[in-house]
This record gives sequence, C-alpha cells and structure tokens, in this order.
Amino acid sequence: MSESGRRRAAFATLAALLPLTLLTAVAVGSVRLPLVPLLGSLGLPVGARLTPPADTILWSVRLPRVLLAAVVGGGLAVVGAALQSVFRNPMADAGLLGVGPGAAFGAVLAVRSGVSETFLGLPASAFAGAMTASLAVYVLARATGRATLAGLLLTGLAVSAIAAAGTSLLLVATEEFRVKAVLFWLAGGLEGRGWPHLRLAAAAIVAGSALLLALARPLDVLALGEEEAASLGLRVHLTRVAILGVASLIAGAATAASGSVPFVGLIAPHALRPAVGPLTRHLLPAAFLAGAALVVVADLGARTLSDRLDLPLGSLTAFIGAPYFLFALRAQEEQQS
Amino acid sequence: MSLVLEARELRVRRGERTVIDGVSLALAAGQAVALVGPNAAGKSTLVRALAGLLPAESGGVWLRGKPLAAWTRSALAREVALVAAEDEGASALAVEDRVALGRYPHLGPFRPPGPEDRQAIGRALRMTGIEPLARRRVGRLSAGERQLAALARGLAQEPGVLLLDEPAAHLDVRHQLELFRILDEVRAAGVAVLAVVHDLQRAAAWAERMLLLADGRIAGDGPPRDVLASEACARAFGVSVRAHAVPGLPQPLYSFEEPQSSSSDAPKSGLPPSEV
Repeated sequence: MSESGRRRAAFATLAALLPLTLLTAVAVGSVRLPLVPLLGSLGLPVGARLTPPADTILWSVRLPRVLLAAVVGGGLAVVGAALQSVFRNPMADAGLLGVGPGAAFGAVLAVRSGVSETFLGLPASAFAGAMTASLAVYVLARATGRATLAGLLLTGLAVSAIAAAGTSLLLVATEEFRVKAVLFWLAGGLEGRGWPHLRLAAAAIVAGSALLLALARPLDVLALGEEEAASLGLRVHLTRVAILGVASLIAGAATAASGSVPFVGLIAPHALRPAVGPLTRHLLPAAFLAGAALVVVADLGARTLSDRLDLPLGSLTAFIGAPYFLFALRAQEEQQS
Repeated sequence: MSLVLEARELRVRRGERTVIDGVSLALAAGQAVALVGPNAAGKSTLVRALAGLLPAESGGVWLRGKPLAAWTRSALAREVALVAAEDEGASALAVEDRVALGRYPHLGPFRPPGPEDRQAIGRALRMTGIEPLARRRVGRLSAGERQLAALARGLAQEPGVLLLDEPAAHLDVRHQLELFRILDEVRAAGVAVLAVVHDLQRAAAWAERMLLLADGRIAGDGPPRDVLASEACARAFGVSVRAHAVPGLPQPLYSFEEPQSSSSDAPKSGLPPSEV
C-alpha cells in the first residue's frame, strides 16, 4: 500500500474506532443501557428512548465520564507526540519525563493545602507542577549535552523521583480525611467526574492541542535537531519552551481531571508513527484519536473488570503501557545496533 | 565579482578555547571554495560562525554588507544554507518532506506552501538526482543518498551562500564525484559555495580557491595548487606534498609523505615531480 493510502486507512480506522468505543463505553457498565434506546436518548431518530432512570445515568454519569476519558487520553497522546519531537526521541512521554508526576505533585499539593477547594485551584496547581518538572528535565538534560535517550530517561527519572518524594512527604502530612482524595490522584481515575470537570479539561486540552497542531511545522523543523533547526531560521529555545508550556497546560489539565494516567502519551504516537508518518500535522490528530480510544477502553475496564470496586485507571494503563514500553525500547535498541 | 559573505578579524570561542583566532575572508557570488585544514583546526566552527550559528567574540561576519546580527533569523536562513553530515534525526521522514523543510525560512510557521515553494523543492530533488526516491524514508537510504537529501534540503532554501561541512564524508567515490558535480552546478547558478573538504585531492580537483585553516587562523588562500605547494600547508598537516603532472589530466595528482621520508627520492607513482 502506498504511504498516503496507509495513512488514509489509519485515519479511517481511527475515525471508525473512536465512536465505536465511545458508544460501547457509554452502554456498558454496572447498569447496561440497551443500544437502540440509548441512540434514541442521544438524539438519533430511532423511535425509542431510555427509561427516565437510565436516561439520568446516561446524561449525568456515563456520558461526561466517557467523554472526559476521551479528552484526557487524546490530550496525553498529543503531549507525548509533541515531547517526542522536542526531545527528538520517539520514546519520550509525559510520565517518563516527569511532567505527569510533576502535575500529580501540584495536584496533591493543592489538595493538601486546600487550594483545590477554590475555583481553578487544582488545575492551575497541576499545570504549575507539570511546567516546573518539564522545564527542569529540559534544562538538566541539556546541561549534559544532546538529549540522548539514556540521558533523557535518567533525568526524567530523577525529576519524577523528586516529585514522587514530595508527594509522599505531603501524603504523610495530610489529614486523614484528605488521604483518600490524594491516593485517588496518584492511581488515576475518573470516578465521580461530571460535566464541570469535562468542560474545564476539554477547554484546556482542545485549545492546547489545536495550538500544538498550529505549531506543526516548527515541531517538524525542531525534530531535525538543534543545529539544522537554527540554520533554517527557527528560534530553537523559544519554540521549545513554548511547546513545553502548551504541553504542560494539556498535561496539567488532564492530570487535574483524572490523576496520573501513565504511558498513553508514549503508546499512541509511537504505535501510529509507522502508519501515518512522523509529520506533526498527521501524527498529532492520529495520536489524539488513538489516545482517546485507548483511555476510553481503559476506563471501561476500570469500571467493569471488577463488580465490587472501580479499579484505578492509571494502574490499568501502566499494565498495558509498561510492557509496550519495554518492547519498544528493545526494538529501538536493536534497530540502533 | 560581488562579495556576498565576509568575515573580518573573526574570533570565536568554544568554552574556554579560542577556536577561531582572527580570520578574515571574503566569498564572492559564484565562487567555489574548499576549506581544508588538519583535524581540530576549527573548520566546523568557522563554517558555523559564518552561518550565524555561533556568536563572534570579536570581529564579525557581514552578509551583503550588513552584519549578521542585523539580519532576522529567517532572512538570514533565506540567504545562507548550512549542510552538515547527516545524523539520525530525520530518518523517519520521507525524502520529499525532509527537503520541503528547507522552505521553512520562506514560509515561517504558518504560511501554506505555494507554487514557488513546490517548484523549489522539485528543482532541488532534480538537481541532486533523488527525484525517484522522493517518497522513500530517509532512514532507508544509503549514506550517499542520505547526504544528497540533506544537500537537497539546503538547495530548497534557495540560498545565496551554501556552506557545507564535510559533505563527502562517508561517500564512495561515485557519490563524491556526483556531489561535487552538483556543487559545481550550484556555483554556476551564482551561489557562493564553501565546503569543508577532507580529501585534499578532491578539494583541489573541485575548487577554484582553497582556504587553509590551521590553529584557527587562515594559513593559505589561493588557487589549490599554490596552497598545496606552500610551506604553510606542509607545516599545517605535518607532511610533505608533491604534485605530479599527469598527461591528459587538467589537475596534477598529489602525493603526501610523512616528514622523515620527505627527503627521499622518487615518488611512488614513478612520474616526475612537476613544478607547481
């Protein structure tokens, strides 16, 4: 198949897959919503509607949660794709680079200090944490020369460890009635999330993703390497910091909504690059769709795999993502040798 | 000939070390210049300073009579292109997309490419002879083809000055000949071409002018046969250089010997040393 044919096929698959997963995730749960009336309640002319209690479940519980999962997944995947360009490394990811743990630290700090009870307190704090961590990794990895895979991962590891240590410290110092809220942050999850969360997260994530898409060409130039990018007239540092800022905005908003959901940003762009190619204007939209579908499915698993309790969403993505990461790392090293 | 790029008493530091130490040179439009010198002479640093990628500690570089600092980055990138030895960064890109990024200085972040951009990309692919590889991924190319793709990106910039850092490194002889033939065409189109060339024989065959850099200073500047015959050249490389006229070749062939054998007799080729 030709390259553009392959790309079209990938987009067609993703465009079909996402509505399918959304619909499945809305229909399946502790209360199963029958498909035809469900479509009727969603506004399709099928001549049937859900019963009023089921309709309430759909509109006030299921739908906002599923859409939030999609937005969070899409946002994290876009961040992963952008970071992979900035760091010129196909294995970069918000979690591995300390952005996720930084956002989590910011969020926990907000819960601990009570800032989270103010409007925007939590998301703003998560954003600040994400931005601080990503800048720290960027500056520290650069100080050791080119951001190599090893240097980058190790720097990200160190910064993540500091963020995690800070989080533990806060956890110990947190009043008991808040500990549950903090733990929820660390494991990641979408329980009890509704329209207000969705509105806030969607605004930041959609706007941020659109901004990154607008910066597609600078991102492509940046991926050529610092010297070539500068010789093509790109303001390398300014562009990198701007992209890290937008990426932190998205990662902060996603983390504020769902806690930490690791590996999505690594898997989605990494898996799609062979199909859609490395150009940002193709990769970002594809990664968004794939990341959205991935987290919707993972959240469906979190809700339904156990009938007694909601499983932590972040643990599920880590269970899928960590083996994938090891597999991809090995493949990359084999390719290099 | 009109001067395009000029360095005056240029001094460049890298860390603690002064790598370029008072270099003055001028490039004219349509000139082919080979920059040669022993390892660590500062060739790569000089090329990057000329491209405006490294700041001058003192002295400076003038492009079309205006100091580099007075040019915006994108205006500078429309005038000066730098092509270095290829690394792995672009390996997932298709050749054509890689070359198209050479239009960045003309398009900036947001403007969509127009007909003149597509023409420039097409011309660059044709000139470098890699049009049939346009949709191939860079990572799938041979080292020679990859270098040609990097050159095509530089040509797509449509610069007035083309700077190359060891463009022929890792290339087999056929690709070397091809590369320098392309550079000749570029020069003939009025572009000032300055290339760091490791192979002195190749440099002499290609360039009309040779710049010899040693310890960060210009130690020779002139026609290749004069520079190669100079005492400064022998000192810079720590070898003795002999030119051998070969009937039917426009250029002499050169042989190089370590100093201890420099006083010995006839060259191995069996040809009599010529006057240079």
